[in-house]
Amino acid sequence: MKSKILLFLMSLALIAGIFSIYACGEKPEEKEKAKVVAEVIKVGSLNDMTGATSDVGKDYALGIAEAIHYINETGGINGKQIKLFQFDYGYRIPEALTKYNLFKQLKCVAILGWGTGDTEALAPTVARDKMPYVSASYSGHLCDTAKTPYNLFFATDYSTQVRGLITAWFDKKWAKHPENGQRKPRIAACYMFASAFSSASIKAYKDQAEILGFEVGLDQDVSLFAIDTKSQILALKEFKPDVVLHTNTVMSVAATLRDAYALKLGADHIIKNWGYDENLPKLAGPAAEGAIGCAPWAFFGLDVPLMDKVVEYAKKYNPGIPLENRTIHTVQAWASALGLAEALKRADKAGDLSGESILKNGFETMKNFEIGLGIAPVTFLSTDHRSQSEAKIYEWKDGKFNLFAEVDLKERWPDKWANEWLGW
Amino acid sequence: MSTTFLPCGDYHQNYAQEHAWWQTKLIKGKMILLFLFLFVFIPGVADSYWISVCNMVGYTILGALGVQLLIGYCGQLTLGHGAFIAVGAYVSTMLILEFPWPQFMLDWGIAYPVSVIIAGFAAGIWSVLFGLPSARVKGFYLILTTMAAQFITVDFLLTQYVSQIGGRGQAFSLPVGTIKIGPWVIDSDIKVYYIMIILVIFFCIVMSNLIRSRVGRAWVAIRDNDISAEVMGINVVKYKLLAFFVAGFIAGITGAFWISNLAAISPEHFPWFLSLFLVGVILIGGVSSIHGTIFGAIFMVVVMELLQLAVMPLADTYPKLLMDFLFIKEAAFGLAICLFIMFEPNGLAYRWWQIKNYFNLWPFSY
Repeated sequence: MKSKILLFLMSLALIAGIFSIYACGEKPEEKEKAKVVAEVIKVGSLNDMTGATSDVGKDYALGIAEAIHYINETGGINGKQIKLFQFDYGYRIPEALTKYNLFKQLKCVAILGWGTGDTEALAPTVARDKMPYVSASYSGHLCDTAKTPYNLFFATDYSTQVRGLITAWFDKKWAKHPENGQRKPRIAACYMFASAFSSASIKAYKDQAEILGFEVGLDQDVSLFAIDTKSQILALKEFKPDVVLHTNTVMSVAATLRDAYALKLGADHIIKNWGYDENLPKLAGPAAEGAIGCAPWAFFGLDVPLMDKVVEYAKKYNPGIPLENRTIHTVQAWASALGLAEALKRADKAGDLSGESILKNGFETMKNFEIGLGIAPVTFLSTDHRSQSEAKIYEWKDGKFNLFAEVDLKERWPDKWANEWLGW
Repeated sequence: MSTTFLPCGDYHQNYAQEHAWWQTKLIKGKMILLFLFLFVFIPGVADSYWISVCNMVGYTILGALGVQLLIGYCGQLTLGHGAFIAVGAYVSTMLILEFPWPQFMLDWGIAYPVSVIIAGFAAGIWSVLFGLPSARVKGFYLILTTMAAQFITVDFLLTQYVSQIGGRGQAFSLPVGTIKIGPWVIDSDIKVYYIMIILVIFFCIVMSNLIRSRVGRAWVAIRDNDISAEVMGINVVKYKLLAFFVAGFIAGITGAFWISNLAAISPEHFPWFLSLFLVGVILIGGVSSIHGTIFGAIFMVVVMELLQLAVMPLADTYPKLLMDFLFIKEAAFGLAICLFIMFEPNGLAYRWWQIKNYFNLWPFSY
């Protein structure tokens, strides 16, 4: 019994020791030391390596770490190094909340976030704490600065992507359809109803379909973990859609495409960015032929500014992963990290690295800012965080991604863009 | 009889003495210290991170209390408790956002507290619905019927219908100022902490009193042998459903509390894993013990956070350690359950009892 008591007391001492180190703040001498090494800017990163979106999250996480290495090795933030605290949160919202609070305790000045569910859930907290939050969720809900002033991303938002996809298909495919003019085009959507990410753009999809005069079929609930979607495809066959919208991640989209191909659905497929990457043709095989998707960035390895660095750092820091297995999600991560770094540089130059300064002197001073990596110029307004209005649409054909269309929604529907669509 | 220490042997002269919460001055002193620790020391010393960790502990305790009641005290296996937490959260959220409250109720900060109470009742009634099969089935079959609660409630009703209210699509955000108790706007971790600690203390007291009441004894009798209980004249179905109601009520309050912590809600907050996690909490803490619920929640939240902080200094040398921490955490969760079932099947509560007894009897602990 005595040994057990001793063990218990030792455990208690260990816990108390750790607690005192981390909970009770810095001692005066540590504060002095902190001043000396104040040339470090702390940034938190939430990633999904094990959860529902890990099929695309792993590559993104690698990209974040590699991009931060690149930033630090090329001068950092005006000479200051970024210290990255990168955690896997398994796509679980309570986990995201505790990690967010840990980032605050670690005095991170900004966060590189991940999913829609947790980003939207944290948005009120982030706004309250004035913590700039650059997410990999491109939900249109995060663009209305009246509701989510500290949420930002370097991409075309999901709603704009989906509107662009439907418009591009309507302009290019339906225009040539033999039944054009005789009936309305038919569209349906496959996505996970319970996922905030998958369903973020559904309201915009239905609105755009109505604007363009589509007949909209019943939505099909396809899990992010789906490996068999035959029942959903059979349900779709009764509706006979001309085009199917997919808003899940790539594993689930590939499974749906395979089943649609096997069951001869005969529809075209339009896919939101997270379901449309280099793995789609590998996973779906011939079923991916003709698949149309939105990709606001260049695919991995393409000849665009800064891609050489993306490839170089992928080789340098993760040599064990063959380059042919890397995807566009690495490029996305670089765009997020480089965008944040630029905002930090501008705020630092203004002499204030507080959250409010990073937002006002950093992000919201970006007007047609060119990151490279094939992404369209980025603009953040204090009233509107939709960083771009253009949807770049590709088609997988003959073994490569071909540019299919570029739809600028602001140009095409200026009134709706300005007055109606913000925050969808 | 000394009023400072309990004497060896049983000197109670009436039931009231025997059932008194704080039987000696020493125990009263310890309880006062505990209250000071919870209401003064922690808020005074801990920074917002540790306060948020405490809030997660509280959320876990409140969630697991209902599971403890069902599994630990009434023997009704459940793997769908997350659904009832979701019901509470959604009822409270929808009432705050959509119900046409009279302006004075909003001004006086009555809307949220009222929504919390309604959320508790709604979740309790919803829980009773899924407890109805317990009249016919038990064990593994009951697990399956309670699991249905998750799929019907979260994956079907909340996702397909409730989340579409107002055309929002998925997540609901509660604007700043809407979560208000009296003049007190709940807009910081510390305020959430105070709500949490009051709720945890309140429900621990309620549960403790229920367990030692006629109702509690009926539940324990049903758990130990439902046929014998029925022979003794206990209305088994009634008490089982009452257990589901109380567990659901606490879950509903838990869900309504959760929205004060995040001010946002979506079905993804309530995955099936949450129900499994809560069962893990009571297994590690100790089945049939309210202390066990608390210890299990502390173990699952605080110890994991400490483990994380312990590995952080190593992250400079092994940068992937932080990224891989969730693997370590998941493995630790699984391993802890295995080890506790093998070596400490009565959970942390039993260990606590042993330690407490050792010190109470010291130096004559033989």
